[in-house]
Amino acid sequence: MRLWQPFRLTAYETTLLAVFAGLFILFSLTAPNFLSAANFRSMMVQLPELGLISLGMMVVVLTAGIDLSITFTAALSGIALAWCLSHGWPIPAAILVGLLTALLCGAFNGVFIAGLRISPIVMTLGTMILYEGIALQFTKGGSISGFPEIYSVIGSGRIAGIPVPMLIFAGAVFLTAVLLNRTAWGRSVYMIGSNPTAAEFSGIRVRSVLIRVYLFSALMAAIAAVIMTSRYNSAKVDYGSSYLLKSVATIVLGGVSIQGGAGTVKGVVLGAAIFQILSSALNLYGLSPHLVDVLTGAVLIFVLAVDLLNQKWKRRPRTRVPPASLPSEPTKPQAEASP
Amino acid sequence: MKVRLGKESGILIVLLTLFVALSFISPVFLAADNLIDLVRTNVVLGILAVGMTLVIIIGGIDVSVGAMTAAVTVLLGYFTVAFGFQPLAALLVSIAGGTLLGLINGLLVTAIRVHAIVVTLGTLSIYSGITMYVTGGAWINNLPVEFIEFGRIRLFGFLPIQILFLLAVVLATWFMLRYLRIGRAIYAMGGSPVAAERSGIDTARVQQFVYAYMGFLAGVAAFVHTSIYRQVDPNAFTGFELQVIAAVVLGGASIMGGRGSVWGTLLGVALLALIGNGLTLARISSFWHKVIIGLFIVTAVSIDMWQRMRQERRMAKIDVMG
Repeated sequence: MRLWQPFRLTAYETTLLAVFAGLFILFSLTAPNFLSAANFRSMMVQLPELGLISLGMMVVVLTAGIDLSITFTAALSGIALAWCLSHGWPIPAAILVGLLTALLCGAFNGVFIAGLRISPIVMTLGTMILYEGIALQFTKGGSISGFPEIYSVIGSGRIAGIPVPMLIFAGAVFLTAVLLNRTAWGRSVYMIGSNPTAAEFSGIRVRSVLIRVYLFSALMAAIAAVIMTSRYNSAKVDYGSSYLLKSVATIVLGGVSIQGGAGTVKGVVLGAAIFQILSSALNLYGLSPHLVDVLTGAVLIFVLAVDLLNQKWKRRPRTRVPPASLPSEPTKPQAEASP
Repeated sequence: MKVRLGKESGILIVLLTLFVALSFISPVFLAADNLIDLVRTNVVLGILAVGMTLVIIIGGIDVSVGAMTAAVTVLLGYFTVAFGFQPLAALLVSIAGGTLLGLINGLLVTAIRVHAIVVTLGTLSIYSGITMYVTGGAWINNLPVEFIEFGRIRLFGFLPIQILFLLAVVLATWFMLRYLRIGRAIYAMGGSPVAAERSGIDTARVQQFVYAYMGFLAGVAAFVHTSIYRQVDPNAFTGFELQVIAAVVLGGASIMGGRGSVWGTLLGVALLALIGNGLTLARISSFWHKVIIGLFIVTAVSIDMWQRMRQERRMAKIDVMG
């Protein structure tokens, strides 16, 4: 019974699974070469990067925050790693430097957001520009290459027929699920997201939890950076910057509430999978990548609209006020009648 | 009120310091040509930042501004190439296009009731995708000669016509915020949407108006931009929304809503402009620009939050003693 627990799906996740299955069948029948081994391989190589960034973004959004700097954290980490590799450092040492760079970026975000209670949007907007600037200053806009040959195994190798990035992603999914569902930290993340004041009063050390949340998103960015640098065999500032919008779209599609407090790893994985087969199939149809962008945006808005209708269907709306204020602000009790 | 005044004078001090420092570092800086050029190249940022100020005051955000402006420049380019340049007609087309895109944002934000950052991320993707698909990324270089001549007009022989647009936008918006009902409603909504709704303000209408106004200004900005650069690059505004938001945040608006002013935002724009110009004049590599702007944002919001926390703590003490 307990063994099955992780595989049980909520109603929304079942819908996502059905959408995934439906799209999969549709594309298998209509998109040329969709079922080919080459297409599967390319999908399995692309999915992990978006998936990892999405997992990092998800944990931040669960606390009602957002990490706009996540893709440039990945870029900066990849550049640090690439610099070490191209200067003849051993691979593990280079990866460690990349990881430390990312964690430093994450800690910087976390300390300011948790310590000074700066709004995550503003803080990560600032650090996004900052990290991009440092990365640009370091590379002068060019790319860093010249890695040992064996390094490309991480991005392009296969173990038992499965691409290595996919295995890394599976590991990250497992890690995230365990951390969120089986540890005190994970519970605290959800509690801070649904009601920060209540969380603080029930004895949760909000600051330290939040700092670790931003460290976690940086960790995911660092892993994504390793895969990206290995796959492109180089590092550049704008590698991965397109994942910012996509990762937010992915987690929202996956059922994570942008107001914090709700969302599951399963949903996010399904969301990433749906986006992946969608963009692969549209590519196989020969559609312009710009139209794929249009569709990505349309899907995001469509899903949000359906979700709203779904909520209305289930229960009456609690309040008529649109969510204009930022989610990180705790809702204050309103005095019903003034004396 | 006092707090806001204090914050704005803080930026003003930084600005003046930079100004004095720059005039010592570079003899070129104080030259009238440099100063006028500095204003002219930042007119577009200024116009968009004024619109974004309203969006941020109501507690929203619009990350699609860059995509909207780019879409309108392309529309304007096609229109003038096809029908020739008539200043009024061209301006009207820009404004109509921009307002339509902004209104779509507003309707979606109020209909879906998800935080605006998600909705406008979606429309950013849609608007820029359509723009890139239609143009294929190609520039429009064959704008009518009349348009190019129009962009070169200098009033009284020295004042570029584009600056006039910024002045008009600033004055109109300032007047609206201060003296019109909608302006009061915007601040009321930013302070507390619940209280605003209960005091009879149609908050959905206010939101729709503000996003449509943002689009309207994106239309104006697109017209001005095209008149300055005399060609249309569909990629010109990629990532520009961040600069716009940065200017507003540096100008003291609170991303939580309720706080912000047109004058503060103008100071923020001036600050960004001076940093950029100063680094260029001081011959510092342009790769440092982003580092310094990022540091400025982080420092500015940190100081602001630190002051607010100290204030809160002081108030909490009085609470306990009383």
